[in-house]
Amino acid sequence: MDQIIHPIALYLGLALVGLGLCVALPRARVSPQIIGGILAAAGLGVVLVLMGLKSKDALPSPYFYVFSLVGLGAALRVVTHPRPVYSAIYFILTILASCGLYLLLSAEFMAFALVIVYAGAILITYLFVIMLATQAPTEDRTEGLKAYDTAAREPLAATVASMALVAVLTGMLFAGSAKLEPRNAGVSADALLLQLPRRVEDGLKDAGLIDRKERVAYADGKPQIDVEGRRAMVTGPDGERWVGFPENLGVQNVEALGFNLLNAHPGSIEIAGVILLMAMLGAVVLSRRQVEIDEEAKARQARHLMESRGAEGGA
Amino acid sequence: MGADLIVLAQQGFPTPMGGATLAHYLLVSAIMFAIGLIGFLTRRNLIVMFLCTELMFQAGGLALIAFSRFHLEHSGQTFVIFVLTVAAAEAAMALALVVLLFRKRESLDADEWTEMKG
Repeated sequence: MDQIIHPIALYLGLALVGLGLCVALPRARVSPQIIGGILAAAGLGVVLVLMGLKSKDALPSPYFYVFSLVGLGAALRVVTHPRPVYSAIYFILTILASCGLYLLLSAEFMAFALVIVYAGAILITYLFVIMLATQAPTEDRTEGLKAYDTAAREPLAATVASMALVAVLTGMLFAGSAKLEPRNAGVSADALLLQLPRRVEDGLKDAGLIDRKERVAYADGKPQIDVEGRRAMVTGPDGERWVGFPENLGVQNVEALGFNLLNAHPGSIEIAGVILLMAMLGAVVLSRRQVEIDEEAKARQARHLMESRGAEGGA
Repeated sequence: MGADLIVLAQQGFPTPMGGATLAHYLLVSAIMFAIGLIGFLTRRNLIVMFLCTELMFQAGGLALIAFSRFHLEHSGQTFVIFVLTVAAAEAAMALALVVLLFRKRESLDADEWTEMKG
């Protein structure tokens, strides 16, 4: 049995998660969110513990459990909290937990980009719009929750559909991922240094191993860098010699990511720029348009006005 | 553990990751996606619905980063950059539309717009 978890146990655990999610969704009268959250966490815990028992030698870092529980718990609150502002703030917590997971996966640049772009920019836009698109509480209407925020639409059907999707996804994935071979298993992380001779030069200079006049030697247009042996041929006024790399000379995440981005996907950057430009234009055009308020909404406003006048007159 | 993290920060990719560890991350990603999907289907507030799509983007990004780490290949992380770009563009457009709809009906209820047929 080379599966990571027994399928029946997986499906039962996911059913428990689904039950918890369904219970936690907001309803008109009661919404036992704590019970739902505990049920969902118990289901997830069962699945994770069984997975951990099956593969004791390849367990993720303990931080993985902390970050994923915080992230999923906050995601649950995003979905269930009746006030949109709190949903947005819980979403920031989800993002911070995801950043922790990204760090564990040694994607440092993306982790910090996520905090800056998502938590710093996109979520602030959301918060602005939530503030803009909420009616200020007037005297007659105390600040209450809207009916459309407190009652979920078809909670059972949505949960069943979503958890069936997860069951299919994870069932397939767990059956196969034990047999999956990593693609670049034999390749050294520093193989990129072959294409970055100036980086090697700078690293050697910073370590004081070569002086300013020396350069990495080239033969047939290729830099003489031996990544496996961690050394490079340098040429200078005194002739050529091999210099070993210092301990800390290696490709860092940002360098590798930037190299991949600009070397393998230059066209996509242009397209991303066009998408951002179009979105900006679209947002400007949309938000400048004059909107006529619907007759119904006008009538509703007038009614509210009348009622508040009446209340003042009565008092 | 702390020393491990420092080594992680210095190098592109250290040791390979096991398939079981990958499965843990993919499970979290799948459940996060499901929570986002449930939220999108059940919530009736337009802004929260779009917030739930961001949650689904987030889950997709986590799966991409996990695969990037598993295959020791940076293309997955590069793709997340583009996911972020598209998410930003989507947020800008969607929120402009939401503000427009709100000004017309004075309500964020998605059910107000059921007669909109395209």
